[in-house]
Amino acid sequence: MRPSRTSYPLSWRLMDALEAVAAAVWPRSFSAAVPWLMLLPAVVLVGLLVLGLWDMADGSFRTLDTATFLPSDDYSLTNYHRAFTEKLFFTVASRSLIGSLIVTAVTLIFAFPYSYVMVRTRSAALRKFLLIALFLPFFIGQVVRAYGWLIILGSQGMVNEALGLVGVAPIRLLYNYPAVLFGLVQYMLPFAVLMLAPALTAIPEEMEAAAGSLGANWVRTFIHVVLPLAKPGFIGAGLVVMTLSLTDFAIPAILGGGSQDFIANAIYDQFFRTSDQGMGATLALLLVAVGSIMVGVVFALFGAGTLAMGRSK
Amino acid sequence: MTETMAADAPSAVSVRDVNMVFDGVHAVRDATFDLEKGRFLTILGPSGSGKTTLLRMIAGFGRPTSGEVFINGLAVGSVPPHRRSIGMVFQKLALFPHMTAAENVAFPLRMRRFDARTIPDRVQRYLDLVKLGKLGDRRIHELSGGQQQRVAIARALVFEPDLLLLDEPLAALDRKLREEMQLEFRRIQRELDVTTINVTHDQREALVVSDEIIVMDHGRIQQKARPEATYRQPKNAFVANFIGVTNFIEDTVASIDGERIVFDRPGFAGRIGNGFRPVTGAAARGALRAEQIRIGSGCEALGDVDTMFDGTVTDAIFEGERVVYEVSVKGLGETTLRVFDHDPVTHNQHDIGSTVALGWNVKDVLVFGD
Repeated sequence: MRPSRTSYPLSWRLMDALEAVAAAVWPRSFSAAVPWLMLLPAVVLVGLLVLGLWDMADGSFRTLDTATFLPSDDYSLTNYHRAFTEKLFFTVASRSLIGSLIVTAVTLIFAFPYSYVMVRTRSAALRKFLLIALFLPFFIGQVVRAYGWLIILGSQGMVNEALGLVGVAPIRLLYNYPAVLFGLVQYMLPFAVLMLAPALTAIPEEMEAAAGSLGANWVRTFIHVVLPLAKPGFIGAGLVVMTLSLTDFAIPAILGGGSQDFIANAIYDQFFRTSDQGMGATLALLLVAVGSIMVGVVFALFGAGTLAMGRSK
Repeated sequence: MTETMAADAPSAVSVRDVNMVFDGVHAVRDATFDLEKGRFLTILGPSGSGKTTLLRMIAGFGRPTSGEVFINGLAVGSVPPHRRSIGMVFQKLALFPHMTAAENVAFPLRMRRFDARTIPDRVQRYLDLVKLGKLGDRRIHELSGGQQQRVAIARALVFEPDLLLLDEPLAALDRKLREEMQLEFRRIQRELDVTTINVTHDQREALVVSDEIIVMDHGRIQQKARPEATYRQPKNAFVANFIGVTNFIEDTVASIDGERIVFDRPGFAGRIGNGFRPVTGAAARGALRAEQIRIGSGCEALGDVDTMFDGTVTDAIFEGERVVYEVSVKGLGETTLRVFDHDPVTHNQHDIGSTVALGWNVKDVLVFGD
């Protein structure tokens, strides 16, 4: 004989009640809609972004009326023409593009040994130390860190003082291109390591041992086994580092001191210094386009599947 | 080969007093053995017995804390794996997923700088050897489990290594495929005459494939012998228990008469096991294999045996080619004995609860200490 319902434990009856309420609020026949409903917040967020982009696209075709400081009512391609012909914009764009490529390459080269040791070390203490060292910069924030570099690299900073002790005259370490790239690499390293580490974890240690037993030294093991197998991680990390440094604002602004503007700084100037919203919108859209093309090229070359997305065969 | 030559030629593998301690665990203790060229050795033991650690030291992944490994008479302690001439098939195979089967097999040839013009022919020859001649262009994930095994074997052998190491590569296969691959390993090993060391916890595999078996437990080599000797003359109770299904019967030694030990319980006797020094009045264990016990409904059904006991069937398990009985024997202090039986003619079975007669010969009861 079945025991009466009242003999069930309280927690069971609570769960039964909850399920009854859930069934009343959301009948089973609606259940097919659940996945779509869960997608909704993401769709709304992306939708808002598209709305903003649409507004900016509209603005990018209006020129600034220097008499009234208002955008014109009629549409023209003047802003785009300026963006492609004026030397200032070309300089800024090429500086950002070349800079982001250099930063990506250098960051990946630095990030690989770091993540490799972090993933492969047998010492739990070392792994913890590397992880903490990785996350610490995230708690500090980009602007504060950039100011930290001012203190270290400034003309009366720690480095120059140390050089002074051995009789070297102060060197200008800041407000130049290398300083900006240096700051960006330092900022991007944790991102790259975080993206690389899972890819390296996915490579069984046995794979490297096998390469060794088959006659490959560590260099050839790296080239023929680790690198190809870690490709998704490298591509993912590379994309993140490239897009983030291409669009970075704080590091070029602070470590470049106004002389090393990236595209984001130029956009800021158009919006908030010269109040030319149309020009700002044009540059912003071009930046989105350039970034998308770069991502598109990487996908076309290596396939989106290399990011470990989609179903594996 | 003349006898003098055999004496002069160094063993393919010599392990001398090898110890391995890591993280405070003494994984391998005083391991010493020799393996002649062309032999198939299996290191058998439960997980944690140190068998894989020993194999990895021979491969060069991990240096012994003390002791030395010799390959063809040369100490290899400071030689990294990629400079040793050792082919290894790994537990999870470790095939390279970004290469085809043929590229996997070609990999060691490229790494070891074989003449590039000879590589395709040689790869094809070894793919043929493992019966994968037409599947060289397949990617690893397009091959079945058994085919992947074969690629791994071809890859480990294609550069004609001095030594082939197998690190439990069959553990993950289902039984049928595993037994097929065991025979395949045996065939290829005989065909190429390559010295092979296999590690497994599967006693059946060890008996089927090996020329010699090393049984390990708790980091120590318990016995090194031919498969038949390992099975029939186990050196101690651990080996007797680990290989085959063995009953242990506890009793006290009443008297010792040469090889023969007579126990306190009336009618129970046995033979001194390897290395056991019996003392009258001390506790000892008789080890008796399940297939060496005969079972019948009465004494007359047992035939020619010198020991007989009555018992009660407590369980009967039908396994197809045999029936496993568990029989509680009153005359041996209610010890439960496992008995294998197979009646191919009348398919007679004894029911649970029925009284049966058990019989065996004294020479089959090996006596060990505790």
